[in-house]
Formats: sequence, structure tokens, C-alpha cells
Amino acid sequence: MALSLAVFVQIIVAVLLVIGLMVGNAVVMVYVERKACGFIQRRPGPFEVGPRGLLQAVCDSMKLLGKQIFVPGNIDWPLHFLAPVVAFLPVLLLYLPIPFGPYLTSLQVDDGILLILAFAGLGAVSNILAGWSSNNKYGLLGAARAVAQSVAYEIPMIMALLAVIFMTGTMNLTTLVEGQGGWPWQWNIVRQPLACFIYVVCLVAETNRAPFDLPEAESELTAGFHTEYSGMGFALFFLSEYANMLLVSFVCAVFFLGGWRGPFLDGFWWTFAKAYAIMFFIVWIRWTFPRVRFDQLLNLNWKWLLPLSILNLWLTAVVVKLAN
Amino acid sequence: MSGLGFINPFGVRELPGTTTGDFYTANFAQKAQPGRVILNLGPQHPSTHGVLRILAEMEGEYVWRAEPVLGYLHRMHERMAEVKTPQQFLPNMGRVDYLHPLAWNWAYVGAVEKLAGLEPPERAQWLRTLSCELNRISSHLLWWGAFVMDLGGVTPILYAFEEREKINDILQIITGSRLTMSYFRLGGVCADADDRFLALTREFVPYLRERLKMYRGLVTDNVILRRRLEGVGPIDVDMCRRYGATGPVLRAAGSPNDLRRDVPYGTYPQHDFWPATGFPDDCFGRYLVRLAEIESSLDIVEQAVRGLPPGPIMVDKPPKANFKMPAGETYFAVEGARGQVGVHLVSDGGKNPYRVKLRAPGFSNLSLFAEAAQGTLLADAVAILGSLDLVIPEIDR
Amino acid sequence: MTVLDNLAADWKKCGACVVSRHDFRKDGLTLSAVTPTKALKAAAEALLRAGYALLDVSVMEVREGFLATYHFDSFAEAGRTALRTLVPFEAPELPSLSGLFQGAEWHERECSDFFGVRFFGNPNPVPLLLPDDFDGPPPLRKDPAALAPLSALGLFGVPEILDPAWAELIGPGGRPKGDRA
Repeated sequence: MALSLAVFVQIIVAVLLVIGLMVGNAVVMVYVERKACGFIQRRPGPFEVGPRGLLQAVCDSMKLLGKQIFVPGNIDWPLHFLAPVVAFLPVLLLYLPIPFGPYLTSLQVDDGILLILAFAGLGAVSNILAGWSSNNKYGLLGAARAVAQSVAYEIPMIMALLAVIFMTGTMNLTTLVEGQGGWPWQWNIVRQPLACFIYVVCLVAETNRAPFDLPEAESELTAGFHTEYSGMGFALFFLSEYANMLLVSFVCAVFFLGGWRGPFLDGFWWTFAKAYAIMFFIVWIRWTFPRVRFDQLLNLNWKWLLPLSILNLWLTAVVVKLAN
Repeated sequence: MSGLGFINPFGVRELPGTTTGDFYTANFAQKAQPGRVILNLGPQHPSTHGVLRILAEMEGEYVWRAEPVLGYLHRMHERMAEVKTPQQFLPNMGRVDYLHPLAWNWAYVGAVEKLAGLEPPERAQWLRTLSCELNRISSHLLWWGAFVMDLGGVTPILYAFEEREKINDILQIITGSRLTMSYFRLGGVCADADDRFLALTREFVPYLRERLKMYRGLVTDNVILRRRLEGVGPIDVDMCRRYGATGPVLRAAGSPNDLRRDVPYGTYPQHDFWPATGFPDDCFGRYLVRLAEIESSLDIVEQAVRGLPPGPIMVDKPPKANFKMPAGETYFAVEGARGQVGVHLVSDGGKNPYRVKLRAPGFSNLSLFAEAAQGTLLADAVAILGSLDLVIPEIDR
Repeated sequence: MTVLDNLAADWKKCGACVVSRHDFRKDGLTLSAVTPTKALKAAAEALLRAGYALLDVSVMEVREGFLATYHFDSFAEAGRTALRTLVPFEAPELPSLSGLFQGAEWHERECSDFFGVRFFGNPNPVPLLLPDDFDGPPPLRKDPAALAPLSALGLFGVPEILDPAWAELIGPGGRPKGDRA
């Protein structure tokens, strides 16, 4: 695709909108997470700031912006400040190929999912940089965990998506959605239930959320790789965590849940509704389950998810071949 | 922790003697092998529940050697006991173990009463049992929540606090405080149970039984929790013996040792209950023992409410300010939520005790951590630490 | 009660000066012994063989010296036993029991903090509850004038009149030659 001026402007506008979406999403999710957590834990959650605590997230972000950035001694300066940026920037690119609605795609590319998977790997790099550079042993342990975890879980995740790609024969996300119908039984989740299951497990692990939040396991590593980050550094990690969550939820909605297609009134609201349903699911299990141990996490991946995803891929390939 | 990032990009290397840090880190690092990391957990760490500090020699995720460092909450209660009369010292006992203060109340009061030959009246004895058991339930509940939080499950502690609030509300009626209770007096208790207290207690027992069923489904049967606990940190009877560990840790190891049954004090001989045994000796066994103890304590509370006799709550002539204990020695121990709470009291016949030794169960229980945590993963070490049910003010006294 | 009989016989064999039986209900002890410092380890070993656990180490300052009381409890049957030994102020040294009961290490370090008593053979003799840079007198030491004689305290199993066997107790501790731990 030639990078004409129109495309360039389109990308700039899209990135700006994505930044808006990321910040808006973080604000909404902080509130939703705290309210949902409060509901699960039988307490009111935030209720002081604004009506029903609605302004809590705004206050939190103001606090994070205004906080002094505390820098520990003997850190690796360039890397320490690079890490949050590396966590934040790729997310902007990741949203470009997502088809939010029939006509609402920032960048129509044929290999959309490849773009996403390629840049999603950068998240692990930022975790390593953060853990390594902050001269903190908890950070280092957290970084080591983050690497092992994201390397491990990326493989079954890709395998699961690959099964769908085999079946539909396209890597273009818009085409993927168009191949699915509006009703739940016309979605890919029905034809690829195992792939969907594997993807959802990997999604939680890839975004470092409980019960797979090993890199920042609070009771073991205090805060893991971002132990030494405060103020905006922490806020950027926080933003990118929520943005990553939203992204994998969008991918899940597009791949397995019919994207913008719904029983009635197709449109971007369906994509958002489905993505946020998955987001809520992630929040829900976070406040329900204890954390797994690190060896169990890797065992689950290498001994169960990976063989299962390969089997699923192979079965899909056989079925596709026979059907043709 | 200096220059970690620059010196050697291929691995973290800390040679013995080169570690910066305080006296304890340096002392610990002397025996460390090169190439291993000394990790300092605490005294401010989410899983050390207060101000415990653990030094761990790590190789990757594995803990090769661990050493708890104590004393961050040391208040020299034993010295205070020597310069105060027993009545003046009593409030201190609520501060030793803030989760089960009534056991400490009982241990000290019991020691003085034994020496002075005071026999509290029947109703006071029953009230002691009743309040002590309610307090034990609240202590175990808080442990339960905090332990699951150590494992990464954040929600149960808020459920536990909900029940604990109810117990605090109930105990507040008779003890007058919610945390550092000082309810027992020499020769009795300070306040009588009123109808509201009894009614609330009667309501509470079936309520908590229902809730415990819910907890079983929500937490105990959770597959992640089981995988995290089963087979982790086995502590057998021999190990308990070498370290003097008592209480739920010992009962999970398989010994039915329970002072309430073995050395009956108070009204325990009149209660129908059985020490919880028959569980595995790993972290999951210790978890189950404490949940079973909540149920057996509920039984005792139910029986105590039913059997509470009328009568006075104080001896006829309670000790006055000029009370002098006879010269002599006594050792009185009660079964606290964490194990044997012992008070060794020696009097030379003066107003103040000559020497008071407080035997904290958590102190002995924690001392086996170094051996139990050897060679475990960091997450398992945290689970073992949690399963010992530590209350730091009690350990540091 | 054969366990206690055996224990008493063992203690006598180790060289305990006084072994006395007590009424558990009244005194909180079933058996106690006063041993010379040298015999302490052997007496504790007998307890280890009999299945006892170390409950606590309680040091007390009396006019004659430091009286250390080791409380043991059996998990098999109800009952508490005590081993006592006396060390003089001039040489406050006791053998460490941490080779037999690993839990003794902390109890001994605590006693070192509070009384300035030294336990030779302790694997990690650093302050436990007090800070490492604590520079004051040990906090539980009493004013010499306020010290009570042993006879005034009425301790269980400690004879009121000092008999000749005590002369051996109040002597140099049982530190082996060349041991500087």
C-alpha cells in the first residue's frame, strides 16, 4: 500500500482517536474495576468523589499526573525512562487494524492480525526494560517472569488464532467479521470453541492479569517489574495494561464473537459491547481467583494449552482440506 | 543492591561480603554462595503481615536459605511486667497478640490466680470460655482471609472482615473494646453478659455455619487454591517437636495436641468438642485445621451460651491495689489461636512479679520457617509463611 | 507414668543434682530437675529421646547468678517438665541446645539479648529482638540490690537450703576447651 498523504492523515487522526480511546478506556475501566471489585467484595467501592464516585478515576489520574517522580539510586537512566514509553507506544499501532464497525477501521490491511501480533510482543520488552533498569531485585524477578510468561503464552495464542485463519482463509479482520453472522450460533466461537477457550486463557496471561499476574504478583514481588515506578511512569504502565486488555478483547470479539455483527442493528456498538463484556469477565476472575504459581503457569501452557492448540490446528487443517 | 544493571549484564552476581545492607543482611550474606541473590522481604512487604523481615538467598525463583529477622515490633513486655502490678499489667496482654487477646488475658490472669489461690466463680469461667472462643473464631477468620490474600485471592479477606465485624460487635458488648481486649480480671471478668450479647451470639452461630459452607465452595474447593497448597511445605510432628511448634501447625502434622482437652482449664472439660486432626501435614492441612477449628469453636460457643449458669462474675474479695502475690512460681498455659500461650510467673512476695516469661506460640512456629522454606519456590515460601499464622507483636513481644 | 520414671532415671544418670516430681494440676509441671551446666545437654538429650519439645527458655536473675529454666512439653501425653541450671554472674555461659532442639536457637538469642547470657554453640549468635547496635545494659537485668535469693522465691524443685551439690553448679560453665563460638 502506497503511503499517500491521505493514508498518512488517516493514520494521524486514527492515532489521536486511539489515544483518546486509551485514556477514556482507562478512566472507565478504573471506575468499572473498582465498582465491580467493590460489588464482588460486598462493599460500595468509590462513592465519595462525584455522584456515585464517578469522578474517582479523574481524581486518580490527576493524582498520578501531579505526583513527584521518585527515582531510586543507581538505576539505568535511559532504560528506566524508556520502558514506560515502550509499553505505551506500540499499543497505538495495535489499534489501527481493528475493525470497530463496518466503515470504522483506521487502516485497512490484509494482514491485520499479523500486525497486531508482531507489535504486541513489544509489551514484554517494556517489562524487561522496566524490571532490569530499576535496580530492584523484585523488579528483576518480575521481569524474568514476564519474559517467560509472554514468550510461552504467545505461542498457543497464535496457534488458536491460526486455526480460525485456516478455517476462514483470511488474515484481514474486516473479512473475518463479514464471514460471521449476526446471531451467536453463526459466530466462530461455535465452530472453534477450543480455539476460543485457549485464546481467552492466553489473553488473561498475556495481559498479566490475575490469576496469571505473576510478573507483578503483589504478595510475592510487591509490584514486580513496576515496583520502582511512580507518578507518570506508573500511569503509563497502567494505561497500557488497560489498553492491552481492551485490545485483546477486541481481537477476541472480532475473531470469535462476530465483531460488529449483531442480531439487529449492526454497528460499532456491538464490537464495543462484546469487548467490554470480555473486559468485565477479566475483571471478574481477577477478584475471584487466587494466583497460580509460576511453575504451574508454565506447565499449564507447555503441557496443556500448547498441545491442545496444535491438535486443534491440525484438526482444523484436516477438516478444511476434506471440506475443500 | 548496587549497580545491579551495569556490572554484569549476563547474570546477577553478589559475592559474600560485598553486599551492601544492614548488619543482618551482611551477617546473612556471609554464608551465601556466590551467584545467588539475597532478597530482602520486609519489614514492609505485602505478605509479611506487619513488620516481619525475611532474608532469602535465592537462585532464580528458588529459596535456598531463609532467615527471619525479628524485633521490629519489640516492646519489652516482660520488663513492663516486672515493674507493674498484675492489675496494671493486664491491659498489656491485649497488646501482645491483637488477634487473640483473650487467650493472653487468660494465660496471665490464670497464672496469677493459680499462684494466689483465687478461684473465679462458675459464671466467670463460662464467660471466659465463651468470649475466648468467639475471639478464636475471629482470629482464625482474619487468618483465613489474609492467607488467601497471600495466595493472590483478594476477595475473601473482605468476607472474613464482615464476619469479624459481627464478632467484634458482639464482644464489644462485654469487653468494651474491639481489638486489644482486656476483659479478664484477677478473680473473674469485668462485665456480665447481658441479653443482647447472648441473643446476638445465638444468632451468630448458625449464621457463620451457613457462611462457612459458602466459603468451602468459593475458596476451599477452588482448584487453583488446592494446587497452590497441596503438598506444599510439609511439616511433620518431629519437626514441630524440634522447634516447639504447637497449635494448628502441630495438629495438622497429626498430633491431637490441644491444651483445652489435654490439660483442661476453665470450663473446657464440660464442653463436647474434639481437636481437629486427621488432615494432611502440608499447607492445605493447616488451612483445613483452622477451618475445622472455627466449627469446633462454634460448637463450644453454642454450648457455652446454653450452659451459662447464673451467679456472680467476680470472687467475693477481688484483689485490691495493694494485692501481693505469695512468693512462688507458676506456669500456666492456654490454647491460643496460634498454639500454646504460656506464662511463667515468679513472685518474691512483692507487689510486682519478680519475673514474667511470656511464651509466644508464634515465636516457635516461625522459627521452623527457615527449615520449611528451604528449597521451595518463592511463592511457596510465602504460602508457608502465611500458613503459620503469624502475629508479629506476639512474636516480638 | 513410666515415661517420667525413665526420664528421672536418665537425668540422675546424667548428673542432675535434684530431680523432683510435682503435681501437674497445682504447679503446672510434672517433673523438674536442677542440673549442673555441664550435664544440661545430656539431660536435654534424654528429653529429646523421650519425645519432648522445647517450649521456652526462661532465664531469671537471682542473687546466686542466672537461673535458666528450660520448659519442655510432651506431645504424646499432657505434662510439662523443667530443666534448670544456674550459672554465676562472672561466667554467664550456657551450652546451646540448638543442636538437639533447633528451636532453641531463637530462645537462646532472646535470652542473650535480655540478660547478656552467652550460649556457646549457638549457630547464629546475633541479636534477635534488640537492634544490632543496641548499647545499653541488657534490659531485664535487675538492680543488684533488688535481687532476691533463690530461697526467697520458692521455685519448684529448687531446694531452699543449698546443699553441697550446688557448689558444682556455681562454678565455671561447661564450655569445652578451645570452643570460642
